[in-house]
Amino acid sequence: MRISHRWLSEFIEVGDIEADRLGDLMSSLGHEVESIERLERPFENVVVGRVTAVGSHPDADRIRLCRVSDGADEVDVVCGAFNFEADAMIAFARPGAVLPGGFEIGTRTIRGVVSNGMICSESELGLGQEADGIWVLPDTAEIGADLAEALGYPDVIFDVAITPNRPDAMSVHGIARDLAAKLELPIVSPETRRVAAGQPSSVRIKIADARGAPRYVGQEVSEVKAGPSPLWMQARLSSAGLRPISNIVDITNYVMLELGQPLHAFDLDRVTDGTIEVRRARAGESLETLDGVTRELSTDDLMITDGGGVVALAGLMGGGESEVSGETTRVLIEAANFDAPTVMEASRRHGFRTEASARFERGVDPELPPVAAARATHLMEELAGGTAAAEAIDVYPEVIEPVSVELGSKLLRRILGDEVSIDLAAKLLVRLGMGVSGDDPLTVSVPTFRPDISRPIDLIEEVARLHGLDKFEELGARVGPSGGLTHEQRRLRRLRSLLAGAGLSEAYNLSFVGLDALSLLGLDPADDRMDPVRVTNPLREDQGALRTTLLPGLLASASFNVNRGASGVSLFEIGTVFFRRPSPLDPAIPDQPAHLGFIGVGGVGLSNLGSRERPSDGFSAVGIVELLSRELGIEGVNFTQVDEAPFHPGRAVAVTVAGVRIGIVGELHPAAARASELSGRVVAGELQLAPLVEVVTPWAFVEPSPFPPEIFDLSFDLPVGVASSDLRDTVRSAAGDLLESADVFDEYTGDGVAVGRKSLAVRVALRAADRTLTGDEVAPLRAAIAASVVDELGGELRGEL
Amino acid sequence: MESFEDLLETGPQRIALAESLDELEAVEGELIGKRSAVAETRRTLGTLPPEDRPVVGARLAAVTGQIQGMIATRREALQREAEDRLLREDAADLTLPLARQVRGSQHLITTIIDEVSDIFAALGYRVATGPEAETGWHNFDALNTPPTHPSRQENDTLYLDYGDPADEILLRTQTSPMQIRHMLANEPPVYVVVPGRTFRADTLDATHSPVFHQIEGLAVDTDISLGDLKGTLAHFAREFFGPGREIRLLPDFFPFTEPSAEMLVSCFNCEGGDPSCRVCRGAGWIELMGCGMVDPAVLSGVGYDPDVFSGFAFGVGVERLAMVRHGITHIRHFFENDVRVLEQFR
Repeated sequence: MRISHRWLSEFIEVGDIEADRLGDLMSSLGHEVESIERLERPFENVVVGRVTAVGSHPDADRIRLCRVSDGADEVDVVCGAFNFEADAMIAFARPGAVLPGGFEIGTRTIRGVVSNGMICSESELGLGQEADGIWVLPDTAEIGADLAEALGYPDVIFDVAITPNRPDAMSVHGIARDLAAKLELPIVSPETRRVAAGQPSSVRIKIADARGAPRYVGQEVSEVKAGPSPLWMQARLSSAGLRPISNIVDITNYVMLELGQPLHAFDLDRVTDGTIEVRRARAGESLETLDGVTRELSTDDLMITDGGGVVALAGLMGGGESEVSGETTRVLIEAANFDAPTVMEASRRHGFRTEASARFERGVDPELPPVAAARATHLMEELAGGTAAAEAIDVYPEVIEPVSVELGSKLLRRILGDEVSIDLAAKLLVRLGMGVSGDDPLTVSVPTFRPDISRPIDLIEEVARLHGLDKFEELGARVGPSGGLTHEQRRLRRLRSLLAGAGLSEAYNLSFVGLDALSLLGLDPADDRMDPVRVTNPLREDQGALRTTLLPGLLASASFNVNRGASGVSLFEIGTVFFRRPSPLDPAIPDQPAHLGFIGVGGVGLSNLGSRERPSDGFSAVGIVELLSRELGIEGVNFTQVDEAPFHPGRAVAVTVAGVRIGIVGELHPAAARASELSGRVVAGELQLAPLVEVVTPWAFVEPSPFPPEIFDLSFDLPVGVASSDLRDTVRSAAGDLLESADVFDEYTGDGVAVGRKSLAVRVALRAADRTLTGDEVAPLRAAIAASVVDELGGELRGEL
Repeated sequence: MESFEDLLETGPQRIALAESLDELEAVEGELIGKRSAVAETRRTLGTLPPEDRPVVGARLAAVTGQIQGMIATRREALQREAEDRLLREDAADLTLPLARQVRGSQHLITTIIDEVSDIFAALGYRVATGPEAETGWHNFDALNTPPTHPSRQENDTLYLDYGDPADEILLRTQTSPMQIRHMLANEPPVYVVVPGRTFRADTLDATHSPVFHQIEGLAVDTDISLGDLKGTLAHFAREFFGPGREIRLLPDFFPFTEPSAEMLVSCFNCEGGDPSCRVCRGAGWIELMGCGMVDPAVLSGVGYDPDVFSGFAFGVGVERLAMVRHGITHIRHFFENDVRVLEQFR
């Protein structure tokens, strides 16, 4: 909300407080000042003038020669605009005037005629958009008045963010009231006009739904002359961000900004039968609101109706039919209290908000309507020539009483410490307009303009706020009894560090996936990754669902980097994926496990001179998993060749830990890579995170043997489908306890090996903990290993045993 | 054949003139080898009169020892020269980037989360994480945010088409629902920080992203007051932005804390004196996070007695911390995964 310093000063003496300090005070009260705008005088020597005569220019028909009076003198001024005639009030820049941009006005000769100044348009004065013609001022403007002064310059505008719990602060007067409490200054009430009782109005008002409309005040004002509102009022509305419309409408808006009570003005002659009823809409009713939109109404919508049907959507916007116009002479001012949830729901239902609804949805003071109506009545008499002949009608079926809340010193001390005594709290609450009685606990009567206060803690907040949060002592850091990271959290950090150490950089992708991106993976339609949890109200189509796999995000990230010239990209991501099945944590929410994903494109390592670079390929994918399993002590990791989208049919392996599958790594199918504009071999993998971080590494120490190892190589001719890991595993189980290591170190196909066969060589190291192995011990083991490879894998030993 | 006594005359010069290890070996053979005068003398030692034998024997050993010493010295010198020659040939320009070690990087958000977690872990707080797809009850109701609260409107919250509509499954708009899960699962006292991913129905601009990260802090005990909140946040500010930082609280509103405040930290960049400061623009203060005393309604909602327990909570944006501290200009840098950005932060 934009608050004018001058306007504020009408209610509270803050004239000698520097603007920055005043802004800081508002912020310290919880009304955060987001910006302070200093409105300096935009021009000098521009006054309100009156055109006394308009004549044609002797030598030109595109310009006219005018006589302009500034109240003292009358001079000739040449003007090129045609949107005014004699008697128009205008903005007159006298010779010597300086307009925005340093543009100086002098006496000039235009086509042979002397022009003593300039009649200005709004844009020339820096006040408005480029428009046809000059600025015609309202007739009420005072001739000779300094125009900058009449427009309220100079001023300071505070842009204040009002928190949703403070409807009372959504007005100039409300802010002034809070400042007055802080500064212990008196606050002035605005001038109002109340018509004495006994002069009944012809209008009849009925509330049929007291829950939706607890109170409705209607004030009839007659003999109104519609026209523009005075300059100062227009300027204030503009500085607050509202567009001036006409004196009647401007007055209702002005009072709303000033007091926080939204008002509506009906043309009383267009209110059928002069009756108003507040009720819910009936099925099938519709209303064309002032913005020209025809709105189909819900039976939950609270409506203002007259003898002919609906005329306004309560708290949001009036209808076109009863709108005030240039012909309006009788006005009905509506100052009502509408139920906050009712207005909020209507606003949501119809998809728009107004200045009025923004206030009603927070809860307007039910005591405000008569005050605001009297204020508007005063202004209509003063500024629109109106007469209030009849008393206001105030329908208030069930008076809303101030609530009473108790506050004791025990709770006060628990929340605020020793800084504020109960006595000081009482004084602070009184300054905020509360009625306080008792010593401890205090019994506090909360004014109706503070609907946010109903509990002791609400009073404590007020006490702390007014006292000033800066005054509370900063104690030491509050220390907990025990804490730190869990086993899993520590292992997760180690896992990240390992991956970074292996040359991968950590990526963070958004948690969304578009159905298009998912379909590019070529998954089986029955795969649960193809049925993601949808976002009900996505902002973009590619954010329409929650990711079921990290791969699309990683593909996009890799592609992003390649498109920006990166020759090789290696990324990993640890993030949540979502599935349409109940979470083990809470059956109400979807399952959302964390996954580890990675991608590699182009070379791994460096690509200069010595070329330590080697291409990313499926072997690097398995290498990453082996690194993790070795370094994190994950036992029982196995790989099984699989043919599954989106991976390469012959270069991907499922990863199992102790027989349970945790993911898949390998090379992506070229089609999936191409879909992300990637070429060459693209390495990727996706694993469940939990099995990697939940493992508890055994504590047992293995004493290194002081005895020498027995090392020998065996070479086998094997069917081509046998994986090196199969050979390694077979050797391991055949070798038994004496095995120290078994590493496949050579693969060969070609000359000397039959088609459909390959040769694999394995180096076996045996060692005993308590003795040097003898040839007699080793030979049978060597034979047993060979035999089991022959039997189990269909191998043939190459060479001698 | 010359007498072995002549060795001391000619030997030293011959040793010194040997230019290679091979030459030296030849000289050694001639001087003290099997066919040398020394060897001959040793062989004939037995033919000498017994009384002469010790004298001649001792003299022989002394001469031989001297010559051997000279040869050993010369051999060392020649070996050193040979190695020096080899090493000179082995010289290389080690500034060629042939063996640069390549390391990847950890994401800055991870680093900041770890850093903040460590600050609080050191104070005895636990670190907990919770679900990103949440129920409306955990994200709103239990946090004292009634259905009519503006933040429950669709234009702020992303809702999910999942489960029982009554559960209002959504993407959590804050890490605060984990306050609820953590308190429901633990008895007081509670000291915990919750880092995690959060979501809003925001279009990407310089400071907003539909996905961002927060770290929530929660302390509930029998004797926690506003001064504890101030002290804890001041400690955090000094650990994270450096010693000498001051903090300020301005009243604010959050449904689940009361009193609520916005926490500001004094500018670490300009100390408040520079109107063109990239961090605070001269304000001297940087808005950092929301905080407050836990609302009694939240405590009673999880079965904690608000007449016995009180606490504070705060929530800080991780991207905000990173942007402020490192001068990052646009939030997209956190999610584009441009390696030129990622690799700036290890």
